[in-house]
Amino acid sequence: MTVQSSPLAVVALACAALSAAIIVGYLILRPPLGPSSRIWLLFGLGVFPIGVAFAGNIQGFEATKERQFCGSCHVMIPHASDSNSITSVSLSSRHARNKLFGNENCYSCHADYGMFGTIVTKLGGMRHVWLYYTEYRNVPIEEAKTTIHLLKPYPNDNCMQCHSTEGKLWLEVPDHKASLGDVRQGRVSCASAGCHGYAHPNFRPPGEAPAEPAVHPAPTDSSKTDAGSAP
Amino acid sequence: MKPPPPTSRLVLVSCVLTLAAVGLMVWSLLDPRPVPVVAAMSIGQGLGTASLGAFLYAVGADLRSRYVRARAERESARPRPP
Ligand code: HEC
Ligand code: HEC
Repeated sequence: MTVQSSPLAVVALACAALSAAIIVGYLILRPPLGPSSRIWLLFGLGVFPIGVAFAGNIQGFEATKERQFCGSCHVMIPHASDSNSITSVSLSSRHARNKLFGNENCYSCHADYGMFGTIVTKLGGMRHVWLYYTEYRNVPIEEAKTTIHLLKPYPNDNCMQCHSTEGKLWLEVPDHKASLGDVRQGRVSCASAGCHGYAHPNFRPPGEAPAEPAVHPAPTDSSKTDAGSAP
Repeated sequence: MKPPPPTSRLVLVSCVLTLAAVGLMVWSLLDPRPVPVVAAMSIGQGLGTASLGAFLYAVGADLRSRYVRARAERESARPRPP
């Protein structure tokens, strides 16, 4: 979300301007501390800055959900530019196109849900920023593609936040029917080679040959259920 | 009328810290990349909180010293008991 499109950012900037104006005015005039200068300063040093922090925090949390934000560390550029590409058929890119959350697709798939989910995800994100500046800053993109992995296998629960696995049409798909328990329990990954393919084009499970660039590992068997992955 | 008390140095410190804190937060709004956003939410808020604390402390100290001075003046104006 850009500044122009966000009322919160405008509120934050307005508070910042008012606070700065009061402080600069005070520094120029230097009136003695009296009842009226105290009130002015309370606004300049307290009320308005708290307004900036409050609106700015919410705005900051929103900004960190954007794909643009994720892609601003160069090691994430391959993932981000794949999602940006309108022709990519990767699962991740196909989740980048709708208006509701397309711009926040990384966060939508990778955020932990549940109680404290946002906070846990954000703390995890702080760790990423730290790791980036301590370890990955100078890692070439090609190397990052094959060395940066998730800490834990990707949980189907994250897909199931949106794909409930309860829909009638969904349940009628033979592969879904056959593997229902395993899918809901997370024993079979939705994003695996035999099912919907990996989410990111250059991903291969550990031990398999590295991916060729930009080829979606579409399922090859005929029981393919993923209509959207063609061609 | 006695001269007004000198502007507390603490209030000046508070002003400068607040400007820095608000500046950091504005930077993170205009340029929401990881470093500005993280800096605004940590350093920025730390500075802002510290500066408000400094201001409130300065006001408290100022009010107290006025009170003490006023009381001292009252006491000295009162006729001394023989
Ligand atoms: C459709 C859901 C989805 C979206 C959208 C998505 N991911 Fe993923 N991501 C996954 C899954 C599933 C995995 C596990 C590996 C795989 O299937 O590719 C994964 C793995 C990863 C990995 C580890 C890759 C590895 O090689 O081990 C990184 C890094 C990552 N994602 C970053 C991103 C970024 C950055 C974005 C946004 C541009 C994003 N993801 C968008 C589902 C998603
Ligand atoms: C934030 C909600 C959300 C999450 C999380 C999510 N999806 Fe989706 N998914 C959607 C929506 C909405 C669509 C319809 C896409 C569209 O047309 O924009 C969709 C479409 C799909 C499709 C059909 C794609 C196509 O091009 O026809 C598949 C397959 C799919 N999702 C699998 C997954 C898997 C696997 C995961 C977990 C790795 C996942 N989704 C996570 C919301 C989500």
